[in-house]
Amino acid sequence: MSYTQRETPILAELCTFLVGDVYGELAARVYSVLARHGRQSLAAIARASYLNGRQIKYGLVILLQQHLIFHSGNDGPLTYYEIDWENSYGIVRFGKVTKLVEDRYGPKAANVMSNLLALGHTRIADLKEAYFPPETDSGDESDDGATNGAGSKRKRTNGAGVNGSAKTNGVANGIPSELDAAKPHTSDLVNGDGQPNGVHKPSKVDRLTHNAAPEEPGRDQGDSDMTSVDELYNLIQRLIEHGWIRTVTETQYLSPGDIHDMLYQESIEQDNHGITPTGAKDKETVNRGTLRRKRAMRDEWSSVPTFVRRGRANGSNKRIKTNGAAGGSAASSASSSDDDLVIRVNPEKIAVAMRTEQLVHLVQQRLGSVTARVYQTMLRMLESQTPRCWDEWSEPSDEPSAENGVDLRFLVTARDVATKLSRDRDLDMLEGLDPNVAVQITRKGHVSRTNVWTQPTDPSKLSLEEKTKAVDKHIQMLAEDPFHFVTWHSRAGFSQWHIEFGEIAKQMIQNEVENTVAAKKGSLGVKLIRALKKKGKLDERATCNVMMMSAPDIRGVVNDLTLQGFVQTQEIPKHDRREAKTSLHFVWYDRQRAREKLLHDTYKGMVRILQRIAYEREKVQFLLTKAERSDVVGNEEKWLSKGELDALRKWKEVQEKLLLQLFREDDLVATLRDFHGPLVSA
Amino acid sequence: MASAVASFPAPKDEPAVDADEVVSPAEALYDKCAQRPAGQIFFQRDLSNMQVAETITQLTSILQELCDRHLLKLMTLEGEPCWKLRSRSDADKLRRLTPDERLLYHHIDQVQAEGIWSKALRGRTNVTQQTLTKCLKSLESKDLVQSVMSVKFPNRKMYLLKHLKPSEDIAGGPWQSEGDFDVALIDTISGIVAQHIENETCIKVPGNWNDYEQAIAQKKAAVQGMRDMEDLAPAVKPYRPRRDPNTSRLVHRNAPQYPTAASVADWLNSKEILRGKFVREEDMEQLLEMMVLDNRLEKISGTNYRTVLTATDTKVYNGFADAPCGNCPVFDLCGDEGEISARTCVYFGQWLETESEEI
Ligand code: SF4
Repeated sequence: MSYTQRETPILAELCTFLVGDVYGELAARVYSVLARHGRQSLAAIARASYLNGRQIKYGLVILLQQHLIFHSGNDGPLTYYEIDWENSYGIVRFGKVTKLVEDRYGPKAANVMSNLLALGHTRIADLKEAYFPPETDSGDESDDGATNGAGSKRKRTNGAGVNGSAKTNGVANGIPSELDAAKPHTSDLVNGDGQPNGVHKPSKVDRLTHNAAPEEPGRDQGDSDMTSVDELYNLIQRLIEHGWIRTVTETQYLSPGDIHDMLYQESIEQDNHGITPTGAKDKETVNRGTLRRKRAMRDEWSSVPTFVRRGRANGSNKRIKTNGAAGGSAASSASSSDDDLVIRVNPEKIAVAMRTEQLVHLVQQRLGSVTARVYQTMLRMLESQTPRCWDEWSEPSDEPSAENGVDLRFLVTARDVATKLSRDRDLDMLEGLDPNVAVQITRKGHVSRTNVWTQPTDPSKLSLEEKTKAVDKHIQMLAEDPFHFVTWHSRAGFSQWHIEFGEIAKQMIQNEVENTVAAKKGSLGVKLIRALKKKGKLDERATCNVMMMSAPDIRGVVNDLTLQGFVQTQEIPKHDRREAKTSLHFVWYDRQRAREKLLHDTYKGMVRILQRIAYEREKVQFLLTKAERSDVVGNEEKWLSKGELDALRKWKEVQEKLLLQLFREDDLVATLRDFHGPLVSA
Repeated sequence: MASAVASFPAPKDEPAVDADEVVSPAEALYDKCAQRPAGQIFFQRDLSNMQVAETITQLTSILQELCDRHLLKLMTLEGEPCWKLRSRSDADKLRRLTPDERLLYHHIDQVQAEGIWSKALRGRTNVTQQTLTKCLKSLESKDLVQSVMSVKFPNRKMYLLKHLKPSEDIAGGPWQSEGDFDVALIDTISGIVAQHIENETCIKVPGNWNDYEQAIAQKKAAVQGMRDMEDLAPAVKPYRPRRDPNTSRLVHRNAPQYPTAASVADWLNSKEILRGKFVREEDMEQLLEMMVLDNRLEKISGTNYRTVLTATDTKVYNGFADAPCGNCPVFDLCGDEGEISARTCVYFGQWLETESEEI
């Protein structure tokens, strides 16, 4: 995402914080060198830090495993490392990802996702091993590791994952050869360094990832029991098909700049006979060729491998086939090719799902919960076919493509929605509608003077036909709303609707800017922003006219919003003698600027929250260490005083509150940054 | 002063007409005209019909005299000369004007309610800027002319006669008085308009509008010959707490006639709430658009408006604005460490109810 690639110091700070929080100090120190200095070679990192070569290599391996950095490959004389801002920032979304997947595909899929998040990229075989450990382990323990509580599983999967990367380095060629030496030891690192603080690392992951709900073993157990390898494979396949997981290829290690150079070069060779383009037409050809190659490359990442079903009904069968890799033998030739496939979470998809959630929330606020349910159903139907919110590499369109051809796959009818929703018998489809609509749909009774229906009807008893009509009314409300949540497309029996995400995303951005201004400056500030958005550049008198207020009443808010960077002012002298008194004073609002400003402030707000969490933790650090001692765990009541228990409880509360706010700030970041490409400045 | 002197031949005529009580014919004519409704325009035939002057020649000289004394104003209407009366006090003031002032007055008089921009005035009269400024000031201080900021050209000062009401072009529509927005009026009218649009586009639905549980229970009770209602209750599974009939919710009306600026203007004019003021479509559009900015109305299409509804009562802004930093007065000064930082932050302390580091 080139948008995030324009990193700012504050984003660098935020990401360094996140990396440190989840992957420990060593990784964070290497990371911060790259954050501060940009693209660096191994030697340059060594010069810029006080770490020794071995430490740096360990750090880099962790970062590469998690796709927090790119590297330039083995081809050049020097390998360069560079931060992947999108993925780095993505750490803050770990908890959300699990939740989003659970809502859509159930707890088992969520469990697979959370493992993938914890492991970084993972060979399918290793993931399988984590769930169905080979027999070499002692029986009890392996069962435990495969199915139960997050804690022990994480330990196991960590080990497997890292071993995996050592084995599979041929497959994804994930790690540059200069780091080879570091690999065998990475398990120590990821698993916790062998140092005291290492033990806490997994629980730190929990902190950020598990949406502030620390442990919920009861729910996780049982529900997420993977019963067979085939079930696991089916889940993985489904998640790949729907775009939540992508397969890892070498190109994903290349930074956007390197990818561009590579494909640009390729396009020159193949589209322009190897001649560097000079004329406008040639340049155009090569640019298009480059974009086309980028898209093709990306499609390859999300192509669905064909899994061979081998009827592995039970564990023992599987083990024979896959040859118990952990036993020490190298990746066996008997294992099928998809076992060697390396997969990871697709960050672009997360933004799509977050968009769905936010749109539903918005509709709920504006039109009520039933209309929101209808919209949610529509959005989810489209979601599996929507790989990303906006396409950075789209064909430079001559005209907005929305006009002529909307892909038929992106059309939804009221009937589709009604069919899906009629499974939910508790849903009152008539709620939120004008009672007259109910009369119209059912042709029963009429609406009294007090707007009461004279023939009350149990909404769950409505026929599918009636439900469809009710859904249609909800959809019409969505269409009429100034956000234009849906757009009528055509009639094919039923009205077909589609969703113009780009337009809606712009309004969502505007909406958040207005929300922020409302919180800071009240409704007057919002009024000013809206007036300027509508009318463009205005002088004072014209501003007054649009807002129907007198000049002294708006001067204050113009000044405040200018200082806060939400509006811009400009002075145009009328005479050579640039007297302020006779100059023209204009004020205007630039959506893109306001957006960037708010995004920047939000990053900063997130950094402050993380800093506060660190501070609050520091205050109870001694107590936390004590509470985590093995003799204390489980016997807290016995070893800790009431005051200590209270302090721990308070710390938990404080942490939850802060994390919740952090995640809400992340929602705002998604709206501002991920749903729409850069806006053309007004 | 030349013309003022010239207008004094009148007393000379007086002895010609006898008797002390008898007023001069000029005075007589003026009085007769003054009896007519204010603002009336007199043509020559009207004046000769008043039978003050005996001959046309005399009438002409009387009119000349009255004009000289600024009691009458000569105008033309459709090519025909006509006259209009001035009050004695106005005439008195006019007699005391300097020639420059009178010249400017004359030009200002000609544009009537449209007003004239000071620059244009200078162009027409060729006086120096200094004179212009001085004379206009003096005319204003004598209450003969007024200046109004133009609404159309916000930087232009427009001059017109004091007793005239500035045209809408320069003074703005019904929402303005004396060039400024009449906030009280706008508040009142927008409230009335908002209510009107709400009635048109929304419907108040009581909590029990579709009280089927009740209906079923009643039916069953009737069938079973009024057996114990308590027994029946569990049979109907309420999947949601019954809505209180006393609460109600506003929802968008199904397919209403969406109001437009024209329809609301018509409605408002017919109600005659704005006494004496007529609201044009443009005026109403201005008001409605402003109410859209205020988030009281929303636009459904190019010309249709409806009420903004929210389904939830609680107002949350967003993740940033609701956090302490989102509304922090020292946000820009706050750093990673030092006196103002997350560690020492009083706002976080209050929000979380924890201690912050003492500075
Ligand atoms: S941490 Fe405290 S002082 Fe700093 S910006 Fe946030 S609220 Fe303000």
